[in-house]
Amino acid sequence: MLMPKNQNLNIERWDYRLTYAKEGRARYISHLDLMRTMQRAIKRARVPIWYTQGFNPHAYLMFPLALPLGTDSKVEILDIALTEDIPFDKVVDMLNSSMPEGLYFVSAARPVMKHTDIASAEYVIRAELDAPADSLLEKWQEFVSQEEITIEKRTKPKKGRKQGGVKLVDIKPHITVVSAQARENALMLTLRLPAGGEFNLNSSVVTDAFFAFAQTEPEQVCTERTKILAANGEEFA
Amino acid sequence: MKDIQQKIEKLLLKVQRPARYIGGELGQVVKDKSEVDVRFAFCFPDVYDVGMSHLGMKILYGLKNSRPNWWCERVFMPEKDFAQKMRENDIPLYALESLDPIRDFDFIGFTLQYELSYTNVLEMLDLAGLPVHSRDRKELTPLVVAGGPCVCDPEPMADFFDLFIIGEGEEVNCELMELYERMKPLSPTKEQFLAEAAKIEGIYVPSFYDVSYNDDGTVQKVVPNREGVPERVKKRVISDLDKSFYPESFVVPFTSIVHDRAVVEVLRGCIRGCRFCQAGFIYRPFREKSIGTIEHETKCLCEQTGYEQVSLSSLSTSDHSQIEELLDTLADYTDSERINLSLPSLRIDKFSEELLEKIASVRKSGLTFAPEAGTQKLRDVINKNITEDEIMHTCKMAFEAGYGTVKLYFMLGLPEETDEDVLGIAELAHKVVELYYQTPKEMRASSIQVSVSAATFVPKPFTPFEFEPQATPEEIDRKQKLIIDAIRSKKIRFSYHQQPVSMLEAVLARGDRRICDVIYTAWKKGCILDSWDEHFRPDLWEEAFSECGIDREFYANRRRSYDEVMPWAHLDYLVSREFFVRENKRAHEAVTTRNCAEGCSACGISRQYGGKYCACN
Repeated sequence: MLMPKNQNLNIERWDYRLTYAKEGRARYISHLDLMRTMQRAIKRARVPIWYTQGFNPHAYLMFPLALPLGTDSKVEILDIALTEDIPFDKVVDMLNSSMPEGLYFVSAARPVMKHTDIASAEYVIRAELDAPADSLLEKWQEFVSQEEITIEKRTKPKKGRKQGGVKLVDIKPHITVVSAQARENALMLTLRLPAGGEFNLNSSVVTDAFFAFAQTEPEQVCTERTKILAANGEEFA
Repeated sequence: MKDIQQKIEKLLLKVQRPARYIGGELGQVVKDKSEVDVRFAFCFPDVYDVGMSHLGMKILYGLKNSRPNWWCERVFMPEKDFAQKMRENDIPLYALESLDPIRDFDFIGFTLQYELSYTNVLEMLDLAGLPVHSRDRKELTPLVVAGGPCVCDPEPMADFFDLFIIGEGEEVNCELMELYERMKPLSPTKEQFLAEAAKIEGIYVPSFYDVSYNDDGTVQKVVPNREGVPERVKKRVISDLDKSFYPESFVVPFTSIVHDRAVVEVLRGCIRGCRFCQAGFIYRPFREKSIGTIEHETKCLCEQTGYEQVSLSSLSTSDHSQIEELLDTLADYTDSERINLSLPSLRIDKFSEELLEKIASVRKSGLTFAPEAGTQKLRDVINKNITEDEIMHTCKMAFEAGYGTVKLYFMLGLPEETDEDVLGIAELAHKVVELYYQTPKEMRASSIQVSVSAATFVPKPFTPFEFEPQATPEEIDRKQKLIIDAIRSKKIRFSYHQQPVSMLEAVLARGDRRICDVIYTAWKKGCILDSWDEHFRPDLWEEAFSECGIDREFYANRRRSYDEVMPWAHLDYLVSREFFVRENKRAHEAVTTRNCAEGCSACGISRQYGGKYCACN
């Protein structure tokens, strides 16, 4: 007869909220691939990871918020549980002992908030042009002063259908501009956008809509997520 | 590097799965260029997902990088979306570690694992900004070389490579690079270097050999056209696997690849001698690693990679003489570390209950068997020494252990195959389904799915079937329909190969130098990624054959006489021609040959090569 493999597991667990960075070459790791990458990193680091109970025990890892492909960050969150109470610094050191380029842990702490507390995130966006960005900054002001900013959003396919539909959504109320400036050939934006389970607005949706509006093709757009925020405006912890 | 990196980073977010094009994985080797004397670009002529799964590359990557002043990097074929962007933005093919263009490397080495990757080689050379023909690359570097199983008949690719590496690569690759390192300061011409390289056993320089043809189109002879090169080039063999290099680390990809796990090679060669199987002959003799070595390599790899699965790899893992003890030893480690141990190549006759239990992980996936032929007579013809009783017995055990999916692999178009043999495939599948229903309900899985796959037989060089014609597409078509009509159960799913692919494989596998032009023409017309159904263009290949005046039937569907000079006659894979003739005759008489463990059948490999069961001098 089949028996769960982990029936003698140590049930006692200590929860850790890890903050990690994903940048450089690592920014091209997709969210799905990141889960696998972290799982292996934890296995290599030999931290005593807590395994889920059941027929298919697997290391417990929880990412409360996905980072879009191509976006840098030093504030990403990964929750894990260990079967031993190890000091935060030591956990970070152990994990960082064998990480791929561009991916590393910044700090560890006990979780304070719930995942559902995440409400928004802040992004610093640098759009590079082949000419001074002053006129593009004007375009930006024009763009955000519109009554409505409608984008096409693909909806999930209905039951029995392969393709989903397209819905028009006004994203204007969801964009908070923290700052916008032109610096030589670059347009620098700091935006606060909704994030988390309720409603998520990807920064590239905003920039794509803007460049379509401005009829400009930037050389390159570099985006960094700088803050993950709770509903009360505090940084998620 | 900075230049290319900037260029590609602007494009990466516009292509599918960009993590495949930027490197940076854990385990990649990065060196200081100023301290490196020899740079080697190891190219796998297919996409990242496939190439990163290849064990040979992992071994040679680790081996070459173990020398402080050599740097070996990885290169794969980009998908069409990225290849197009590379061309539009003047990005030459680059290596993943340094992001440097490979045209500046000392060596560009390809592994030829299957014939359908040939056009990809041309595409990659072209993407690199290099002439595809060896004769048009006048400078010493980059030297474009190839190894792998397909180089046992390298002639269809002879025009494109400077040299081929015949047999196992661990020693000869190092000898070649050492020679280069010694000669490089003397600034030799390409010809001077190749002349020295040709003296190394296992190095074949195609431009040093002339091919002449008979009036009937067959090869008359292949002879050296200069002094100092051997008449026959002998393959290289590693005689002691315990002393041979094995990597302690792998490059661990971010994106999922075909075989995403740690792999430990447990043995090389095969004792079986199935007459259709090229691997069974070109990798002879049979050599094992000791349990201690396998255990050490397993631990090293699992610790370094963090993989949760390790696979014991070989042509037939259960033929290891101490398989039970080996699994016991490894299971102690893998269980305690929560690592899944998998054995991909088990033979039905060795599939004991105990083994089944040992590999039965929590996840019960399917079982895969390869009876290869539908009747006992035909299995005797191909020397696949398993009986129907053994198949049924194993399936019974599997069903009682709760397995619910069974895959059965067969071949169509084998020598001596009759309609009765073909119908035997459907019959065997029905018997397996029936067996499931006879298994008590409380033991068996809740449903049954039998997948039957029938590949078209492709005769390969260095096998007893190298003389055989491939069945014509019409004949295969008819036989596939026979099976489809004979399948009555909804529990059986039947899949089969497309005809033009198998015929192309047959031509490329046993082709001569005249095929080079066909490959070049097909590639010029846009044939790449031929092994991918969505990219394969049979119409373009057909045009290429007719434009070059090459008759495919001559290569694929013609019976070759025992005294015909094969296009690969100047290569010596240590198994004798007499043995292949003897085995071919026995096949037509449906007489089997014992396996190496039961006793030596005098295939010609001398015991000096370290074969466990070899008796020849």
